[in-house]
Amino acid sequence: MSTAAVELRAISKRFDAVVANDGIDLVLARGTVHAVMGENGAGKSTLMSILFGLVRPDSGEIVVDGETRSFQSPLDAIAAGLGMVHQHFRLFDSMTVAENVVFGAEPTRGGRIDRAAAAERVRSLADRYGLDTDPQARVGDLSAGARQRVEILKALHRDARILILDEPTAVLTPSEVTSLFTVIRRAAEDGTTVVLVTHKIQEVLDVSTEVTVLRDGRVSGRFVTADTTSAELVRAMTGREVEIVANPGTGTLGDAVLEVEGVSVTDARVERVSNVSLSVRRGEIVGIAGVSGNGQHDLVAAILGTAPVSAGRIRLGDHDVTGATVAARRAAGLAVIPEDRRGEGSAVTMSITENLSLGHHRQPPIGRPKGFGRGWMSLVAARTRASEQISSYDIRTSGEKQPVGSLSGGNAQKVVIARELSFDAPLLIAEQPTQGVDVGAIEAIHGRLLDYRASGRGILLVSHEISELLALADRVLVMFAGEIVAEFDRSQASAERIGAAMAGAAAAAGEEWTA
Amino acid sequence: MIARLTRHPAVVPIGAVVLAILIGAVVILLAGLNPIDAYAAVLQGSLDVRNLDYTFSVWGFICGMGLVAAIPLRMGEFNLGGNGQLVLGGITAYVVASQLGLPGIVAVPFALIAAMLVSGGFAAVSAPLATRFGIPIIISTLLLSPVAVAVASYLVRFPLAEKGSGNAQTPVLPEDAHIWSLGDLRYTTVGLLLIIAVMVIFYVVDSRSAVGFELRVTGANRRFGEYAGLKPGRLALGAMGSAGAVAGLVGAIIVLSSPYRFIDGALISPGYTFAGLAAALLAGGRPALVPVTAILFTILQVGGASMERTAEVPRQLSDVLQGVVIVILALRVVLDRRRAGAGKDS
Repeated sequence: MSTAAVELRAISKRFDAVVANDGIDLVLARGTVHAVMGENGAGKSTLMSILFGLVRPDSGEIVVDGETRSFQSPLDAIAAGLGMVHQHFRLFDSMTVAENVVFGAEPTRGGRIDRAAAAERVRSLADRYGLDTDPQARVGDLSAGARQRVEILKALHRDARILILDEPTAVLTPSEVTSLFTVIRRAAEDGTTVVLVTHKIQEVLDVSTEVTVLRDGRVSGRFVTADTTSAELVRAMTGREVEIVANPGTGTLGDAVLEVEGVSVTDARVERVSNVSLSVRRGEIVGIAGVSGNGQHDLVAAILGTAPVSAGRIRLGDHDVTGATVAARRAAGLAVIPEDRRGEGSAVTMSITENLSLGHHRQPPIGRPKGFGRGWMSLVAARTRASEQISSYDIRTSGEKQPVGSLSGGNAQKVVIARELSFDAPLLIAEQPTQGVDVGAIEAIHGRLLDYRASGRGILLVSHEISELLALADRVLVMFAGEIVAEFDRSQASAERIGAAMAGAAAAAGEEWTA
Repeated sequence: MIARLTRHPAVVPIGAVVLAILIGAVVILLAGLNPIDAYAAVLQGSLDVRNLDYTFSVWGFICGMGLVAAIPLRMGEFNLGGNGQLVLGGITAYVVASQLGLPGIVAVPFALIAAMLVSGGFAAVSAPLATRFGIPIIISTLLLSPVAVAVASYLVRFPLAEKGSGNAQTPVLPEDAHIWSLGDLRYTTVGLLLIIAVMVIFYVVDSRSAVGFELRVTGANRRFGEYAGLKPGRLALGAMGSAGAVAGLVGAIIVLSSPYRFIDGALISPGYTFAGLAAALLAGGRPALVPVTAILFTILQVGGASMERTAEVPRQLSDVLQGVVIVILALRVVLDRRRAGAGKDS
């Protein structure tokens, strides 16, 4: 065991009624890439939070370099040689890359921050690990991938020998994923131990050397990557074989539920969406592919009404809603699963019941739209409805009163999906509907979206996952720099063709960002 | 177990109070006086049976001003203009009750309603200022408040002043315009019942109505509310209007009660507004808790005077304790953010 950089022994942690970690043992060998896999709520995030000193275990031991440690805070963990890149970045947008990297451990000269030394340090670290970055760029101007590189540099700057990456590819474009993996391999060769927290099987197979799979707070499998298969990993994660939902093909198309004509969106004087036209008909799933940040989200905001259009018209069914309020658009038949779950799709401090009720709270059975009692809510009806949805969507929780912020990401996503699908709106916009969701739940969500279409409604599906678009969409539009640059019918669509349209775009965008 | 206990939502508020009391004790000790005597005098003064009449009336006013802060706090807005809204209600009630020559039975209700309308309208101005012009409600309420106080002060010193009196006060209201007392109590009036009724209404609206739910959602995450189609501008208009109306009601009750006149400064100097704000913050804006936390500040307020008399500790110590509680609660906001940052989201 002399090669172990970190050993976690019999770690247990409870949150109220939920056992997040139940006697987990984990050995991280020095200079390896160790994948920690599991479904949402399996206990990955809790385990990593314990390792990084964010959460204190109820019992168990953390041994770093043969020495037993008790971390009171992340500062202790950093001092012991750990570094963590969180899923949600913790950077100062208004400061430069170099300032962010050295923050908390600044090189000084005469009591002042030595900016030249900071920039030099960033440059040398970046060269050594192949992290392409400009030390003088403002973090607020960077893409998600570039911000992640800043986070990694931050950890390396503090001489992290054990680097924890929490769902690092969730925000990356395919080309950025490739370069991240190069960085990971280079760091491992250099003797750094990399912990990769993920639920994406392909990534595990591509980059890791060892795998530990968690299920329901326990270790359900340990593998050497070279000797395992994706089927084996799926079995360990879910305890069953997952079937890929096959798209049963297009049924009969009905009237248009969404018509977007020549819409442009300008934000802070930058044109985010340029002259986009598209339509979605009943019985149809229209996919929008594209690298994150190419106007997809701005287009969704324009359709929902949270961002004004600078040109063009938007129709929902028979209603022209171009200048309408969000409430009027939703009333005209619109539901939205938003990309930003914590910021826009939920109130993390409020209960599951309250999160599920919003928007339904003035309609029966919770609200009474007419007569005596108008404007009042039935709390009993809200609770009953919530517990029905908790069981039908398999939301893992200690009860309907639990705050959404204390659910795992995938379960919080199910709350958002349950609320929006239950509007039964003629048009559903689903932005990254399976982000942060585990394999088993992805299958269930995809099945629900197909059912939604089969019931004669339309879906606009915005996704970064080409496989998701191929599995679900009847047509795929590719967005780049605010414009629709390609359109594929189901019969013509393939991972290669969509990927090519996105990848060409990604290369051009990459040049722009790193310039 | 300890970690679990410290996560309980009541820990911080109770801790704030305990810490404030300890800090107060240190201050008293440093002044060479006996803190136990001082605190005993506070309790004795406020809970003495002969004083309960007065104590209850103060509790009612602090509860009322607690609502003035708590209603906007539900949607995450701070109303720091309680003083202006209170005084405007008081002067409106005086004008309606004294100048319009209304017959007895309607004078008091009309005065109360007019005060609520005027103060409610005045407070509601802050909502469009925020929605249309981007001026935060916390700022506009704070800056508009002295304007209302100054206007009332001018009215009571000149057009409405009692002739021949050296004090800045109005003449005594006619007998008909005195608010109904409860039995032979001197300070506690029907006004207390009205304030209790308003608290019950706030509780019910907050927990069971669609609007109350929308306010809470907006307070928890404004973007979430907007995405779901809520209109924060309209909610702010309603919340500020209601808060102002409650302030107006409290002001009117004070003026229509003994000594039945508007005395310049008499509505502000007891510090009901900030005691109410502190009670609302301590309660986290929760309607059911405001009357409970108001008890604490009532005891400090009423007992402060007797502490000064019997233990020779200046009553300003009450303000010190109140200030410490508010600072600690402000710290809670920071701690909550940290905790939220450590929250899990795989």
